[in-house]
Amino acid sequence: MILVYDGTFEGFLTLVHEVYYKKYVPHAITKEVPHANLVDTIVEIHYDALQSQKVFQGLKKGFDKKHVDLILHMFLCDHEDFELDLLAYIQLGFKNKKELYNINHPSVFYLQNLQKELLRHYHKYSGFLRFEELEDGTPYAKVKSKFSLVYLLGRHFAKRLNNQNFIIHDVERALACVKAEGDIDIKEVSSYEAPQVSQNEEKFQKLWQTFFQVIAIETRENKALQRQLVPLVYRTYMNEFSAL
Amino acid sequence: MKKDIYAKMQILSDSAKYDVSCSSSGSENNYKTGELGATHNSGICHTFSADGRCISLLKVLLTNYCIYDCAYCINRASNDIPRAAFSPRELADITINFYKRNYIEGLFLSSGIIESENRTTEMMLRVLEILRFEYKFNGYIHVKLIPGSDAVLIDKVVRLASRVSSNIELPSDASLKLLAPNKTKEKVLQPLKLARDLSLERTEKPIGMSTQLIVGATPESDFDILKLSSVLYDKALLKRVYYSAYIPVNDDKNLPALVNKPPLLREHRLYQADWLLRFYGFGYDELLSQERPHLDEALDPKTIWAMQNLHLFPVEINTASKEELIRIPGIGIRGAHKILSARRFQRLTFEDLSKLKISLKRARYFITCHREFQKEVPLYEETLRRALTTPQKGYMPNLFDVSGITGEL
Repeated sequence: MILVYDGTFEGFLTLVHEVYYKKYVPHAITKEVPHANLVDTIVEIHYDALQSQKVFQGLKKGFDKKHVDLILHMFLCDHEDFELDLLAYIQLGFKNKKELYNINHPSVFYLQNLQKELLRHYHKYSGFLRFEELEDGTPYAKVKSKFSLVYLLGRHFAKRLNNQNFIIHDVERALACVKAEGDIDIKEVSSYEAPQVSQNEEKFQKLWQTFFQVIAIETRENKALQRQLVPLVYRTYMNEFSAL
Repeated sequence: MKKDIYAKMQILSDSAKYDVSCSSSGSENNYKTGELGATHNSGICHTFSADGRCISLLKVLLTNYCIYDCAYCINRASNDIPRAAFSPRELADITINFYKRNYIEGLFLSSGIIESENRTTEMMLRVLEILRFEYKFNGYIHVKLIPGSDAVLIDKVVRLASRVSSNIELPSDASLKLLAPNKTKEKVLQPLKLARDLSLERTEKPIGMSTQLIVGATPESDFDILKLSSVLYDKALLKRVYYSAYIPVNDDKNLPALVNKPPLLREHRLYQADWLLRFYGFGYDELLSQERPHLDEALDPKTIWAMQNLHLFPVEINTASKEELIRIPGIGIRGAHKILSARRFQRLTFEDLSKLKISLKRARYFITCHREFQKEVPLYEETLRRALTTPQKGYMPNLFDVSGITGEL
């Protein structure tokens, strides 16, 4: 049996509800209806606010906070197939929440590692993200990652750029975290054109690139180590690398 | 001639690059509504330079003019190099603009001695004041204290900085006398002791402090160096000691002749040993002794320690305490935590450890898993050393490699 849901957290909670009450035993959970398939039954799950809310209350009451956080974090890992494991995880937690600490359980271990990878990417990006100053002084940054990071990054930069507005733009997902006048919001970006940067921007990029090149000690050069620590995938928008 | 800002940046970061410290960790999150900047407890690396070192702070000198003439230092007075100075305002502006673009976590401020120690500290203080009061900047600021400055000035700096440091550079007084005639160990440590006492008067937790030692310029052994670090940690004077493999930047009759490569492996082993002191509960005298004063370059210090203490091994994974687990070669703090939480649910076997992604490359020789143990290598120092230093199966033969023994592809 293949279950199909809409890819959202709420949709997945509905799925959990359906699985429990209709005793489904899926061997795959997908976000899109698979093409011609004669062998499997395909069941589409439609989001239902009431059922979803019911399961969510159950999670909040029955699970420890860090396990609820893990479940939420999974929906930022949109390139991974975590659904079957997550279903097993939630079922396990409803049976006995202490079992969620058992890292010998393959689903628990897999999801914990996936969460760790997500948070590692987020942590790297909290350092590797590069803002450019727009004409009106707003810092604007682009991000490209296999995880959806604008939520986490938005929260991080809301603290440190507390007296600034800012925009963090995930170009591939067409999502942006926008902080303006004290409010912070996630917005879908329907279309955008490359914004104008301020006059100062070139000066500080050049200063930064100068600093970046000079600070390396020639006799200790180790490009392999550098690549291990800043893998190429992160470098897309880092101006100190694009200038080389 | 007046230098433009890019030339200044070039000169003053070039002069600062031999300072190792670049950590931005260990401060609590402290953002304030309506202000700029916050520190992050774990520290954040913002990029890595071509030598593979983390860049988290804007590391520059305020000026590289200097009245001192230390033999190992690139900025010594007798060196003929381009000199420059930032004005406090210039440097503060660059810092804020870098910070807003998320290039850096904060500022690492150091300086050559211009005119006098006090004059230099006053200039540095000015940068701090602009950043903290005018720009309301709460990010990380590391200041290198100037030995010989007045207590009043040092107190002001300590109140505004996130961390302060003073570099001992050379691990013994004799070497200091030889290479840095204007410095003594007492003089270098004076501002740190002062900073500790001043900040302890105000809070229970003293301001974070660090120092740096040059490795390989003078004849001190690893034993001497680790002993010194250990004493400094025990006195709660320092949070970190940095080790810097000696790189010749000056010709001086008292310095070792030019070497081709800095002793990077020795530096690496010292850091490993330093970690064992700070996080694994080892004493320096467990790792080294007068008779064995140097760390082994072929194997890491924990493995060496284990081979000297084979009577403590093998350790049973399912019953050992956390303190025993972290002393097993190849198992770190994270690995120990995984084992502790997994064994609450079931008895662990070698296979379970692999599933938990715990590296057994070194550990397997030193553990038993519910009476199961590896049988190929007997538990003697010579056999273990051979097993640990010869490359293992991990080697992937090239498609066209011909086996030397069988002649097969």
